[in-house]
Amino acid sequence: MKIRAIAINTFREAARNKVFYLLIVVGLVFVLSSRVVSLLVIGDRVQVLKDIGLAAINFFSVLIAIFTGINLVFKEIDKKTVYNILSKPISRHCFILGKFLGLAFTLLVALGSMMLVFSMFLLLAAGEFDWRLLIYFLLLYSELLIITAVSLVFSSFSTPILSSIFTIIVYLIGHVVWTFNEFKHRLVDPVVKIVAYVMYYILPNLEKYNIKDQLVMGESVRWNLVGYSLLYAALYISALLLLSVIIFNRREFQ
Amino acid sequence: MTTGKLPVAVLLLVVMAGFVQFSYDSQRGYFAERDVFLTLPTGKVLKVFSFGYHRLVADVLFIWSIQFYSSYHLVNRFDHIERIFNVITDLRPKFRAAYYIGSIIMALEAKDYQMAIRLLQKGSRNMSDEWVFDYEAAYYARKYLGDYRLAETYYRRALRNPSAPALIRRQMAHMVYLQDNLQEARKLWADIYQNSSSDLERNAAIHHLYQIKFELDKKMLETKIRRYRQHYGRNPINLNELRRTGLINEVPKDFSGQDYLYDLKTGTIQPRKSFKWKRFS
Repeated sequence: MKIRAIAINTFREAARNKVFYLLIVVGLVFVLSSRVVSLLVIGDRVQVLKDIGLAAINFFSVLIAIFTGINLVFKEIDKKTVYNILSKPISRHCFILGKFLGLAFTLLVALGSMMLVFSMFLLLAAGEFDWRLLIYFLLLYSELLIITAVSLVFSSFSTPILSSIFTIIVYLIGHVVWTFNEFKHRLVDPVVKIVAYVMYYILPNLEKYNIKDQLVMGESVRWNLVGYSLLYAALYISALLLLSVIIFNRREFQ
Repeated sequence: MTTGKLPVAVLLLVVMAGFVQFSYDSQRGYFAERDVFLTLPTGKVLKVFSFGYHRLVADVLFIWSIQFYSSYHLVNRFDHIERIFNVITDLRPKFRAAYYIGSIIMALEAKDYQMAIRLLQKGSRNMSDEWVFDYEAAYYARKYLGDYRLAETYYRRALRNPSAPALIRRQMAHMVYLQDNLQEARKLWADIYQNSSSDLERNAAIHHLYQIKFELDKKMLETKIRRYRQHYGRNPINLNELRRTGLINEVPKDFSGQDYLYDLKTGTIQPRKSFKWKRFS
């Protein structure tokens, strides 16, 4: 119940944030503008339309996840509202979990509305509805939850600006970490090789949630890989939430 | 000058500067001053540093390239075209339009047919379920390079794809014919004739079989006529004379069963129907 109350309040707070709406609207403008851009292309117009639409949804939902996530805990501490909450019989881990679930729901609404508009737009512009968009939605949502959990970790001990920088860096690393797997076979020095191995398996690998290639090219999506990706997200998010709880538990509020 | 006229003067100057830049680009060429594409990272590097947005980067580069290669006033716009399309197709290996449009620009505008074929072959490797890249490569090899052997190779590759249209089989057989491999060409066209249900295809096969038979017979008959001339010091009066003198067992007829036309003066034979597919036939 306590977690639910915090989650609902977090959602309400996010929903009152004008930046949240601004990002959704700008994201939708970009999605719809894909039609105009696709007119500049010779051939493969529907593919370009999908590429730009999906990239816009991806980019703006990541921005929403980062910029809403970094304020989650910091704002409560900065405005000292955290004292009111924690003075009640609410444990710190309930607070963190509630905050995370609230933002998860916020992201679900934001991403869901963008995907809905994009699906309808695709139906009107290209005359097709691709049910695999739902898989893309699911995987992108998992990626966003990982990013939110990362931002929650940074937000629990750092300022919003630093948190956003750290989260963006983790997001970018998450999309290039697959190269470590390529490098490790070419490395000769065993120490460097071990470091590459460790980095590859420790850092969040977000590229697995990027199925735009398969989606746009009409290739089949492998269900077992989707399953592994969802399991990976669940484990990674749990680890990050636990880390946030540990950091938050150690903080002293005076 | 009054303050009201100042904005007009500024606008005029800016427009004039724009015209000067336009003339400058036309004279110097786009890449003379801007070596941006010398420093354009490779597709592999761009793929890493596009952080999951490599499809979008490829689209943007492709859209830019279409606009750029339509800027006809830029004299050396083709300087880095292969690199640019390689980057695009490294980022999106299954970008059908990029291979197709890129090869058209390379071949028809830059007049570099080998480069166009290289791009099409990359497309064929990356999209093995597509026959169109090999088909296009064969077209450039045949039409612009005059390399019928190469064209035949690409047509054969296109034919490996089950969805390849019957037209390609005819084109391939035609390439074999153009290389003067008449026996092989006859086999291929006979196969097309026997196995096709399309009137168009059967007619094409009949025309080819007619021409191939004529060329084979002409070669044989003219050799015999030369031998006859060496022996008798004149050309035979007609082709039956070759049979009577034992040089041939039977006077061949054309594919439709009619006699060939014989020119006594030159000692050459001609078909009743003429198909001038070969450049010097």
